This record gives sequence, structure tokens and C-alpha cells, in this order.
Amino acid sequence: MQKDLVLLIAKQFWSSTFKLKAMYPILCIVVLILAYAAYSGWKNYTTHNHIRNHYQQVVRQSWESNPDKHPHRMAHYGSFAFRLKHALSMFDFGLESFTGNAAFLEAHKQNTVNFSEASFSTGLLRFGEISLAMLLQIILPLIIFFLGFASVATERENGTLKIVLIQGAGWKEILFGKSLGLMGLALLFFIPVALATMLLLFIIEDKALTMDVWLRYAAIVISYLLFFQILCIVTVLVSAISQSAKDALIKLLGVWLFFIVLLPRTTQALGSYCYASPSKIEFESLIEEALIKAGDSHNPDDPHFSALKDSLLLAHQVSSVEQLPFNYSGFVMREGERISTHIYNDHLHALLQTYEKQNSFTRLTALINPYVAVKNISMALSGTDFESYTAFQKQAEAYRYQLAQEMNELQMELISNKKLGPDDEPYTISREYWKKFPDFKYQFISISAALRSELWSIIALVVWSIASFGFILYLSKKAKAI
Amino acid sequence: MYSLIVKQFIRSKTVVLTTILILALGMISILIGEQFLAKQEKAIAEVTRHQQEHITRNVHWHHDEIGLLLYYLRFALINKPDKLAALSIGQRDVNASIQSVTIRNLEGQRYDTDLSNPSNLQSGNLDLGFVIIYLFPLLIIAFTYDLLSEEKETGTWRLVAVQSKSILRYLLYKLSVRAFLLYAVLFMLFVIAILKLSLPLNETLVAFFVLSVLYLAFWFALCFWIVSWQWHSSFNVLTLLSLWVVLAILLPASVNNFLANQYPVPEALSTMVKQRDGYHEKWDMEKEVTMDKFFAHYPQYKNYRWAGDGFNWLWYYAMQQMGDDESREQSEAMREKILQREQASRAVALAIPTMHAQLLFNDIARSSLGNHMEFLDQTYEFHERMRLYFYPKIFENASAAEEDWTQFKPEYFTGKNEVHWAGMVIPLLFITTVISVLSAYNVRRLKAM
Repeated sequence: MQKDLVLLIAKQFWSSTFKLKAMYPILCIVVLILAYAAYSGWKNYTTHNHIRNHYQQVVRQSWESNPDKHPHRMAHYGSFAFRLKHALSMFDFGLESFTGNAAFLEAHKQNTVNFSEASFSTGLLRFGEISLAMLLQIILPLIIFFLGFASVATERENGTLKIVLIQGAGWKEILFGKSLGLMGLALLFFIPVALATMLLLFIIEDKALTMDVWLRYAAIVISYLLFFQILCIVTVLVSAISQSAKDALIKLLGVWLFFIVLLPRTTQALGSYCYASPSKIEFESLIEEALIKAGDSHNPDDPHFSALKDSLLLAHQVSSVEQLPFNYSGFVMREGERISTHIYNDHLHALLQTYEKQNSFTRLTALINPYVAVKNISMALSGTDFESYTAFQKQAEAYRYQLAQEMNELQMELISNKKLGPDDEPYTISREYWKKFPDFKYQFISISAALRSELWSIIALVVWSIASFGFILYLSKKAKAI
Repeated sequence: MYSLIVKQFIRSKTVVLTTILILALGMISILIGEQFLAKQEKAIAEVTRHQQEHITRNVHWHHDEIGLLLYYLRFALINKPDKLAALSIGQRDVNASIQSVTIRNLEGQRYDTDLSNPSNLQSGNLDLGFVIIYLFPLLIIAFTYDLLSEEKETGTWRLVAVQSKSILRYLLYKLSVRAFLLYAVLFMLFVIAILKLSLPLNETLVAFFVLSVLYLAFWFALCFWIVSWQWHSSFNVLTLLSLWVVLAILLPASVNNFLANQYPVPEALSTMVKQRDGYHEKWDMEKEVTMDKFFAHYPQYKNYRWAGDGFNWLWYYAMQQMGDDESREQSEAMREKILQREQASRAVALAIPTMHAQLLFNDIARSSLGNHMEFLDQTYEFHERMRLYFYPKIFENASAAEEDWTQFKPEYFTGKNEVHWAGMVIPLLFITTVISVLSAYNVRRLKAM
């Protein structure tokens, strides 16, 4: 292959595109949308993280400023977990708007994660959101198709293709050259987005701006480069096999509509059709039933707990629970919390697995649809994917459990077993214990875990990238000039 | 000539193929809607059955202490979906349609979300509303972009121009054939939906249909206007698709971003924290503090007295009440904020047909954010009613055995289903007329070249 020739064709394609009148308006519009997307990503991130950090501190202060009291009162007082946004969520909103942001954490009860952005949104959310990632995933492919559909087909239509071929350029050179030229144009749009993202990461003054964030950033840039490389080659190839430029354009627009608008929605609908997930009431009543079977500490005649009581009395050689060396109701609640949490987590796990099965259809299509592949990778690296959300849910639940059990243990240890008379002062423990209990800290999943969860999409993207070069080589042997 | 235009049009493979495709997608969307309704019905049946069992079981366990019993008992209010919601699922997949609440502090319960897969929510529902708002315009574009340029590019234009009396009439003939086919498809989809979902033939259904017809008319007018500039086919299709991207993706999404940034809702979090503190802090205060406030709110209970320093249910429920009373301000502010979003998006939507159609489909199908807000208000009323019914019984420690518990079946909220014809029709008609006039003006200047 003659490298000079490839470069020459690429340059020629690049400069002839700039002669198009439409090029400048497109550039201007994209720059405007880019600026707006960057601004709204930044605004969204700073506003919400500010609000959530603020309330996380407020609830910590109110937790610590509680007076001396019975630890079980504190277990009911509980705390809150607010979901912080990852710095890269400025770039890719992912599922952010559809996932809950705040959970009340108390003893005995797993509350839902509430107040998703979607729950405050009007029907307009259906149209999607503008983010830098959305620009790259949906709009830029369309622009690449707009700029590249005529690349070979027009030359065929007006006969210059024959001349170029006669003058010594092979099909390989033409196809590589055009793809390279188109890739150059794509970069013209992509680089500003990448720079804008970098700028945003610099200006938020986040302590979290570590190596981890930059590694994620680099991986995101590489994924999108692969995605655009695939798109550019596909565009040029479609143009090369089409009879006319119009023909190529219609085909490419069909590709865009099918792979970006229709297919992901349809596969997601199919997924939820094939794997039905339970309604909330179904989910809760299943847990309730399982709990009654295993032992419900709120039921006064529960067999599990009466058996436990008997064996406890026997082991300690005492005749009533008041004589036990620890607080008996603290013990019962600890056991109850252990059982109910275990049951809840089992059910939650099953539910999340159902959701993952629902998503598996779309995930599977990554192999035929690079858009899905890059979308999944981008969300995972931006900390806005399904895994990140469930990680928050699990961490909040783990914290809730820890809080409840810590209070139960304090009760067992420090609260007397003697029943109070109606006029006695209630039992309390020192408020120092509240301060000792750690605050909730949300940990983002690591980059390696994020990449591992999207291994399939990564493989799909790489396979596509390699295959696209294969397509060029294959086509350069078969293509015809007329 | 008309029959020739028809023949020429439907002989195209693309036309046949895309028509079949949209029919298929339309039918899938109706099935998806049906499935959505079935799922809701199932959940309603489930909650009805469960409430019965739940009450029976708890009455059995705690019949000697009605205060404790009411701590556990949950009563459901259901926002039953209109059948039309199958055609426009709207916000119904995001917001819970069933509220199951205890008579304790309401603010800690009424914002609890439903269980849902966030990936499903993000990808959005493929309902008939989606097919009409997104896909039909694409078909209109595909069928009309070369209405005129095709004749020029194949060299038949001069012939046509010479032979037909009016160029405008000829183009309108061509356009009407395309419109007829697509409206026929639309009508068929509605018939299928009516049969499949056994939709009642009423005003709301007619409104849904009329809105669809007008919305598509807007797209026909827009396409005709672009065509009337006599550009190349490729340029037309590029322009039209760009317009589609702007109207169906970029503009509404930008407005949505703008609203989300302009009206953040920190009040939601402050309500959440305040309702807990309002209640829980009372445990550490003198009982009088709580009781005075409680009696100020409900003077009718002033005569109830409590004995001793220990725990009693009157005090307990008064503390719970404080959670609601003291977070009232925050929760009102949150409500206001959300309504502001709703109003702002409506105002903008008047000028943008895609947004207008989406919001009104949701309104008609009672699946909008507004409907959910009404449901939340109704939950408040419902909760207050239950609370006031049980308060005196708890304060008197009435016998739980004497209560007729079978009367507590889930209740239904049925919102108003009003159609505001003028507000629905005028914005679309106005925009469509303006564009049509502009295109007619363009076509009149057409020459045979």
C-alpha cells in the first residue's frame, strides 16, 4: 500500500469537505450544543453534589448531637445515605436520572432509594438528556454519516473514480484514504468534547481527582476513538458499494435509525418481556412470608424466638430472661435483624439478577451494535451504570445493618435486663457512643471492576475495530469502479 | 392521473417495506401497552389480596392493643391507570401507582418509589405514543423528501409542469397519496388498539386520535415546505432528518436539562430529614411540648388525657403527627418546585409540536407528572381520613375485635380526564397553517425548470 497516496486522498477528502457550505453551520451548531452539554453536566454535578454533601453533613451532625438515650431509639432515629455523583458523570449521565438518590436507613426496615430525577420530571425526559456522551453517541455518528456518505459514491457518479484508479491508486488506497480523511473530520468534533471534559474535571476542584479518574478518562477516550474509527470505515464502505450518493445516504440513515434508535429500545423491551420482574407489593409480601417462616421477632408467639429463648435459658442455667448476663431484648432484636436482613438481601439479589437478565438482551447486541458497546463502556467508566447504582444500594444497606446491629449490641451490653416500673427514668447510654459510630461514605466501584463488568462490550468493540479493517481489505478486491 | 400517482407510489419496494415495518412496530407497541396494563392489574390484585391477609394476621397478633396494631397496619390507595395509558405510558413507569401507607407520619412514606429496572426506564417505553411521535415523522420524511426533486432528477419534471394545469395541485395530489397511506396506517393501528385493549370509545380516545392526526399534519406541512424550496434529494433528506433530530431529540432534551438545572429539588431531601427530626426529637422532650402542638392542630382531641411519665399511644401518635406538621413547609416547597417544572415545560411545549404531543398524550392518558402530583395530594387526603378515623379509637384504647376490618379494602383514586380541546388543537393548527402558507407561496413561484 502506498502511504503517500493514502495521505494524499485523505487530505483531498478533508479539504473538499471544507468547501461544503453546510460544514460551517454544522460545526457551529455542534460547538453550541457542546458548550451547553458541558455547562449542564457541570451544573448538574455541582448542584447535586453540593446539596447531597450538605445534607450528608446535616444528618451526621444531628446524629452526633443526639442526647443520651436508649440505643434502640437511636437505631430508629437512623441515618440517611445520599448518592454522590462521580466526577465523570459530568460527561456521561448514564442511568443517573433514573436511579434514586436518597435512602432513609433505620432498624428493621429496608427503605427504597427515593427521589430520582425522573420522579420530578415531566414527560420531556422521554426525549432523553443532552450530555457530552450523548453528543458523541447519537449526534456525532449522524454527522459522520452526513460528511462521509458521498465520499466514494459521488466520485463514482461523476466519473472521477475511474480517473483516480487509472492514475495508479488502488482501491485499498482510496478506501483507507477516505476513511482516514473522514476520521480526521470526526476528530475535529471529538477533540473539543474530550478537551471540554478534561476542562470540567480540572475546574470542579474535587479531591477525588485522582489517578483513577484520569485512567477512566483515558479509557473513555480510547473507546470512543475505536467507535468513530469503526463508523468512519463503515461509512466509506457503504459509500463505496452504493450506486449513487443518495443511495448511500439512505442506507446510512437507515443504519443510524435502526442501530441507535430502534434496536436498543426493542431489545430492552424484549428483555423485560421475557424476564418479568415482581411488583413492589409482590416483592414485599414474598419477604414477609419468608420472614414469618424463618422467625418474626415482632410476632409475640413466634416459634423460632420461643425456641431460642428456651435454649438460651438452658445454656445460662437461669429461669427467666431477666437473669441473663446481657439485655435480652437487644439479643432478640439482633437475631431478628440478622434474619430479616438475610432474607431481604436474598430477595434483593434475586431481583437485581432479574434486572440483569432483562438487560442481557441489549448487552448481547453489543456484538452487532458498536453503539451499545460504547454506550455501556462509557457509562461504566463514568460511574453511572447499573453496577454503580447497585453498588450504592448495597453499601447503603450494609451501613444500615451495621448501624442497627451496633445499637443492638450496645443495648445487650449496657442496658439492664430489669424491666422498668411506670415511674422509673428510662434507661440511657452516653451520647459519646453516637460519635464513635462511623459516618456513611459512598465508595465508587474501582475502574478494574467497571472494566470487568463491561468485558463483553470491550471485546465487541475491539472485534469490530479489527473486523472493519478486514472489510476494507476484502472490499478492495471486489469493488468495481462503475 | 390520480390513479397513476398512486400506482407509481406504491410500486416502490421501500414504501411497502417501511409501511409493513411501522405497522409491525405499531402492533408491538400496543402489545407492550397491553403488557403494562396487565402488570398494573396484577399488582392491584396482589395488593388487594395482601391487604386482606395483612390486616387479618395483624389483628390476630395485636388485637388487645389497637395503638400497636395501627402501628403495623397499611392501607392502600391505588391510582388506577386509564386504559389509554397503554398507548402513552408516560411517567407511570417511573412513579408508583400504588400507595400503601400506615397512619403514622405520611411524609416518610408517600415518596417511596416502586421497584424498577433503571435501564428499562432509561431506554424508555416503546408505546404507541413513541411510534407516533418519533417513527411516523421519519416515514413522512422518507415518503416526501423527493416529492419534487425526484421528478427533476429523473427528468420528468418538465413534462409534468407542461402537462398539468396547476403545479401546486399536482404536488398536493402526490402529497395526499402519501398522507392517505400513512393516515390509513394510523387509523388501522388505532382500530387494532381499540380491539386489543378494548378501549372505550369516548372523548379521550377521540382526543388522542385527533392529536395524532394533527401532529402528523404538522410533519406533512414541514416536509412539504422543505420540498418546496426545490433543493436536491440528498439535501432535502439531510435537512429533514436534521430537523427531526432537532425537534425530537435536541430541543426537548435541552429543555429538559434546562428545567432540571433551573429547578433543582433540594426540598425533597430537606423534607426527608425534617420529617424524621420533627418526629424523633420529640422523644427527648417533655410530653407537653408535643401534646400542646398536637392539640393546637386538632382541638377536637383536647379532652384526651394521658397518665404517668411512661409511654402511651396518644403521645406516640402525636409525635408521629409532628413529623408531618413540622415538615409541611418543606414538602409544600417541594410540591411548588415540581409544579413549576410542569408549568415551564408546558409553556415551552406550545411552540414545539413534538413536546406538545408528548405532554398532551400523557395528559389524556392520565400518565403525566401532573397526574402523579394529584395522586400525591389525594394520598394526603386519604391518609388524613384514615388517621382521623383511628385517632379517637386509639386514644380510647377501643377494642380491636369490635372493629369491622373487612371494610378496609384498597381505595381508588380516579383523576379527572378532561380534554382541553382549544389548548390542544390551536398550537398545532397554528404552526401547521403558517408552514402551509409559506410552502404554497414557494410553490406558486415554481417554474418548470
